[in-house]
Amino acid sequence: MANLKYRILLIVGLFAASAWALFPRTVVERVKRDGVFVYDTVRRVPLKRGLDLQGGMHLTLEVDESKQAVANKSEALDRALKVVRQRIDEFGVSEPVVQKAGTERIIVELPGIDDAERAQDVVQKSAFLEFQITDKTQAFEKVMPRFDEIAKNAGLSTASQAKASGDTTKKVGVTSLLTQKSDSSKDSTGKAVATTGADSAATTPAAVTGGLFSSSVQAGQIPGQYIVPEASYAAIERALALPAIQGAMPPGKVMRWGVDSLVSGTQRFFALYVLDSRPIITGEVLTDARPSTDPVEGNVVQFTLNNEGARRFKVETGKHVKDNMAIVLDQRVVTAPVLNSAIGRNGQITLGGGTLQSAQDLALVLRAGALPVPLKVAEVRSIGASLGADSINKGALSLAVAFLLIVVILVGYYRFSGMLAVAALVLYLVYTLAVLAGFNAVLTLPGLAGFVLSIGIAVDANVLIFERIREELDHGKSNRLAIDEGFRHALSAIVDTSATTILSGMVLYQYGTGPVRGFAVTLIAGLVASLFTAIFVSKTFFMIWLSRTRGNQTLSI
Amino acid sequence: MLRIFHNTKFEFVKHWRMAAGLTIAFIVAGLVTFGITGGVNYGIEFTGGTLMQVQFKQAPDVAVVRSTLDKAGITGSEIQQYGTNTEYTIRARDEKQVEAQAAGAEGISKSIASALDQQFGAGNVTIVRTEAVGPKVGSELRSGAFTAMIIASLFTLIYLAIRFDWRFGAAAVLSTAHDILVTFAFIKMFNIEVSLTVVAAILTLLGYSANDTIIIFDRVREDLKKRIKGESLAKVLDRAINETLPRSIMTHATTLASTLALLFIAGEVIRPFAMVMAFGVFVATFSSIYVAGPLLLWIESKYPRTSSDSTSRAVNAGNDNSGDTRSRKAERLAAR
Repeated sequence: MANLKYRILLIVGLFAASAWALFPRTVVERVKRDGVFVYDTVRRVPLKRGLDLQGGMHLTLEVDESKQAVANKSEALDRALKVVRQRIDEFGVSEPVVQKAGTERIIVELPGIDDAERAQDVVQKSAFLEFQITDKTQAFEKVMPRFDEIAKNAGLSTASQAKASGDTTKKVGVTSLLTQKSDSSKDSTGKAVATTGADSAATTPAAVTGGLFSSSVQAGQIPGQYIVPEASYAAIERALALPAIQGAMPPGKVMRWGVDSLVSGTQRFFALYVLDSRPIITGEVLTDARPSTDPVEGNVVQFTLNNEGARRFKVETGKHVKDNMAIVLDQRVVTAPVLNSAIGRNGQITLGGGTLQSAQDLALVLRAGALPVPLKVAEVRSIGASLGADSINKGALSLAVAFLLIVVILVGYYRFSGMLAVAALVLYLVYTLAVLAGFNAVLTLPGLAGFVLSIGIAVDANVLIFERIREELDHGKSNRLAIDEGFRHALSAIVDTSATTILSGMVLYQYGTGPVRGFAVTLIAGLVASLFTAIFVSKTFFMIWLSRTRGNQTLSI
Repeated sequence: MLRIFHNTKFEFVKHWRMAAGLTIAFIVAGLVTFGITGGVNYGIEFTGGTLMQVQFKQAPDVAVVRSTLDKAGITGSEIQQYGTNTEYTIRARDEKQVEAQAAGAEGISKSIASALDQQFGAGNVTIVRTEAVGPKVGSELRSGAFTAMIIASLFTLIYLAIRFDWRFGAAAVLSTAHDILVTFAFIKMFNIEVSLTVVAAILTLLGYSANDTIIIFDRVREDLKKRIKGESLAKVLDRAINETLPRSIMTHATTLASTLALLFIAGEVIRPFAMVMAFGVFVATFSSIYVAGPLLLWIESKYPRTSSDSTSRAVNAGNDNSGDTRSRKAERLAAR
């Protein structure tokens, strides 16, 4: 009976370990309280819930090669990974996942995020910051005829230019508009483009003579700034991308669009800047950035530079007093204030009517540094928190119902032995969950469904053994012998089915991706637990029963 | 002792023609629907595209929702009621449309959200769930799952060939393949969307069906050595199936109980999974009796066991743990 004692000890020990592994414990975690993330202690069952069960956002990012050719993608992704991780940490999500998937993608998981769009912007923003002096040599006017010619040859000199001639009457309106920052629309330029086509088609009269650039681009309020009406925006943007135009750029200058569009009456305008191509400093020398609210300027981001950056910035800004310095983020001009004096270590970026939140987000991405490559979203899933909670409730209810049904079937059919099987099944549930918790497996909705299903399948081994015991009893064997033989004969079938299942599970793990892998882990964990409970645990139960009965009692099976 | 199907003497194998006719008819019906409606109804995680689950404050007019989306340039999207009459899913799966979005995969969901906000007023429409997948991710996922399935089948075949006999292995794998085929036909006929959860169901089924067949084959192997002289293999098969019948009924009943709980309680997301599994339980039962057995007979007739070698190997393999083979062997030795 010493053998039996050890068996019981092992089962109880494992149960205690599993219960301990699954016991809710107090952890310090970043949690959301009244809309802000704070560190706090919470009690949690150490089973990780997937995004579909708690709500949140899943992003798959990949290098956007349409914007920039990348030689070594994997290495660039490694660097991007660091930046994204740092930004997410600062964004303040509890238990985020930021990891590389293969050599091509980054996976970001943000549990509990309800503002999906904002999160996405923070992750994806490239945040390459440059300070460039605007051109005051009228370099653009000099190359304009050449630009017009190239545009004409490329077939870009029609349609939109007529619009511009009509707009000249509004010139005064436009320039006065530019002086008032608060008028600038918050609409992103991207959205405006989408409506361009429809507008120009509706209002464009016949084409007039003159080049694309000379007829639609007007000088703006400050040196190096030009104003483009919405109708010509698409054509000019395309023209600027032409290699011939790129080649004809004034030497040492670059052209950049402004971040926002400007609205005057019913017309929308875009700002185009001509800048010195050599930045006076870039975001690399930035050590800190903080959002702040200025009574005059509205929401701003104040930044601090490192020693070397501060020295260079002071020298360069000193050389350019009374010039305009464009603050360029991701190749778009955020603002271009006049330099009144040399600036040293500290400066600020004016957002021109942006919200405090956008100032916070800009400060955040500047602090965490720029992405080495532009990233685009290859996949996004977001699940509302209420839907997640709903899924958990339904899943738990179906688990309970399935369990009850199986208890009824087992106890109804096998009576006392059925009860032993149910006890083994309870142990199976606890062990499996503990193994999953131990492997840090993430419980998802399909995983939960698989778990519910597995309790129906897990009793198979017990059923096999019980049926075999019945057969042996039919052959007139004693209880003890029938139980022994029943277990022994059922074993080969159980071993074969388990081995093939484990083999398949391992193959699925090896060759499957993402969710298929998760499935494989659950499959193997469940199988090992069910083997242990069906063979070892229920055998022990029978052994206990045998040790407490005198041989002639009938076995209820 | 409560007993069902105890000591039955059904002749299962005899009816193989009817079973084959039935199963072939089903597969053909599946192929015909495949031919008519064309293609598998893949979920967006495989094709790429956008799925949004939205909840309206008041039940909306579907025609208005559709025209709103059309106006926003999202043409040809599927709008489906989901759960209550205020919940809808919107699917835009046109790959070209997805690709055309400069912003990447999530572009469409943004334009859907803003179009709905404009039409119904902000706050009246809640986006409960969004999934937007680029087509490239989807195709990798698809090929990954497919390769895994094929290799898993190969491993099962090899394992069974070693443990039993290659004839048993081939019959088991072919009958599992049959189950998958029939399940595909079912999926196609009921136009179930093949999402990752459905793939999980098919993978579960793969294991479940193979298990069922192996358990019967294990009994066949055992019965082969108790074979009465002159008894045909068909008779042995029938005997083995009858002997394992109570077990099959019980285990299918418990699995079905779990599946039905999922089907009726777990909600819309799990429903396709549960439907495929519920159907799969019946197919697995059917195939392990009517498909795997006859297939084994057919393989045996094509490639009969020439030497007594392979048979005895098949028989012996199952008795690693069984005491009475050893004693029987000893008897045989003694008889010599």
